[in-house]
Amino acid sequence: MKMKTLAITALATLGLAVPASAGAKTTLIGSGSVAAQPVLQALFKAYEKNVNKNVKFLYTPDGGNAGIKDVQSGTSQFAGQARTPLPSDAGTTYIKLYLDGLCMDVNPKNSLKNISIESLHDIYRGLITNWSQVGGSNLTTTIDPVGRDTNGGTYTFFLQAVLNNEPPASNVNALTADGLVVNAVKQDPNAIGYAGLAWQKKGIKAVKVNGVACEPKKISVEPLKYPLSRYIFIVLPTTNPSPAVEKFVDWARKSPEAGEIINKAGGVAAFNKKAKK
Amino acid sequence: MEEDFQPEYGPKWSDQRVERMLGALVVFIVGLLLAMIVVVLLHGLPSFLHNGLSWFGAGGEVDAQFQAIYLSGQSGTSDYVWTFHAWPLIWSTILITFISVFLALFISLFISVFLVEFAPAWMTRILQPVVYFLASVPSVIYGLLGVLILVPFIGNHLITEPEKASVAGVISLTGYGLLTAVTILTIMISPLMISIFSDGLRSVKPGWVEGSLALGVNRWRTTWKIAVRAARPAIVAGTVLAVARALGESVMLAMISGSTGFAPNPLDGLIFVFEPSRPLAATIVENVDALSSHPANATLFAIASLLLYSAAVCSFGGYLARRSMRKYGAA
Repeated sequence: MKMKTLAITALATLGLAVPASAGAKTTLIGSGSVAAQPVLQALFKAYEKNVNKNVKFLYTPDGGNAGIKDVQSGTSQFAGQARTPLPSDAGTTYIKLYLDGLCMDVNPKNSLKNISIESLHDIYRGLITNWSQVGGSNLTTTIDPVGRDTNGGTYTFFLQAVLNNEPPASNVNALTADGLVVNAVKQDPNAIGYAGLAWQKKGIKAVKVNGVACEPKKISVEPLKYPLSRYIFIVLPTTNPSPAVEKFVDWARKSPEAGEIINKAGGVAAFNKKAKK
Repeated sequence: MEEDFQPEYGPKWSDQRVERMLGALVVFIVGLLLAMIVVVLLHGLPSFLHNGLSWFGAGGEVDAQFQAIYLSGQSGTSDYVWTFHAWPLIWSTILITFISVFLALFISLFISVFLVEFAPAWMTRILQPVVYFLASVPSVIYGLLGVLILVPFIGNHLITEPEKASVAGVISLTGYGLLTAVTILTIMISPLMISIFSDGLRSVKPGWVEGSLALGVNRWRTTWKIAVRAARPAIVAGTVLAVARALGESVMLAMISGSTGFAPNPLDGLIFVFEPSRPLAATIVENVDALSSHPANATLFAIASLLLYSAAVCSFGGYLARRSMRKYGAA
């Protein structure tokens, strides 16, 4: 008898609990830049989990131009975009979300101070293989180029900013995390690698690119002087943008949590308040 | 409750409850596994269909091919690129798995013979739990050891500048490569093999060993000819498990194997052991983000089905080998 009562009570509680928890979720649809995808996905995940549990994001990385068209036609509520606005983007509003910025790092034993984008391209395409072919280095050894696997946001940015979307050569060692890239440069005097500002610490040396130092003020203060930096935009329709998306953009641009997520995912937070420590 | 009692013939429901429930659980698990295999095969099928047998062959740079496949799926149109020749990845998997298992087989066999037959009791008491513990250490820890200790050692001390220059522009010899991968993988799977081998050696019927010793056969010969022979089913079982673990190892190998779709060539001489490569399982880990692209998704699932197939062949082979050894008295 007792068991039966218990079972009925349990069932009744379950029956009450289920409809209460199954609130309808709003799905926000976006599309656009492939380069912005890793950072955007990280932001979406945190927003869905910590800020607004009733929102779900669906992002199709179909390329920046396609994303703008989706916003213009109304199939997407927002788009990720890595280039600056063009006249053909009528009816859309660009909002600066964060910055892409990559430092080129070498081992401190390498006396290299400055490297040009052309040299970087040739190194990562396997055309230059010895440090003696790069001006300004004391080394005469074979270059060990290090990069990320295709999962990295930094990989996509490097591909677009330096390699003109050509795949890196087979002699580029693709590691699975930014931290492993930094570690490889630290351990190998002949290595060169790329990593975001957040990784610039002891044991590696950031070199100037085209004569401009990789420093926060050069990357995050306008005008952008550093060659390996650019804004990543979020694009909304100018008329009747979705309030839920605007709330998300506001959070992603301003909150310190979002800033940390952006930095961790390979971007550079431009507007977010610093987290209190 | 007295009035509830009814005499019945045959087993009562309450007596059958446990076996029915356990049976249902088994059917559920087997069904889930079958469904998983079917899903993986179906997802991978397009990649196999478009490439035919050349999927398994060599030709071109596998990484560039995968990049093209991925980008074709992101273009928004449906004219997908499918060309994929997985031989460098398959060759890397074969090399790393079989060299490691081969080395680990000998190391583990001798260590477990020593542990069971020759080591003093106090030493076995200490070493056996250590071996069990090592067998359960997560692989990413071995990967970290490789990255922080073995890679810089090999890269900065064993590889010379002329060796690097000889392959410059094609591959980098930096310490991430075959030697590092095989060394760490051997260290990783040996404890698993030792623990199974030593359990097998311990369950050999004492009478067989004692009989041999009583006939005046010396201890080493008795161990080698009687104990190790009788424990062969356990040796096969341990080896099969080790092969399965080595085949499926992904994170650790992605960290240290060099992550390049390159087929190490024994004809290159000594530098062969330093050459980078990337096995199948690590390829999946390093490209999970490409799953959003339809053709890349199919290619990754095709790799997964090849891995599933190899694991199935491996356990079936082990089953056949053990069946033919029934006469040695082990399960």
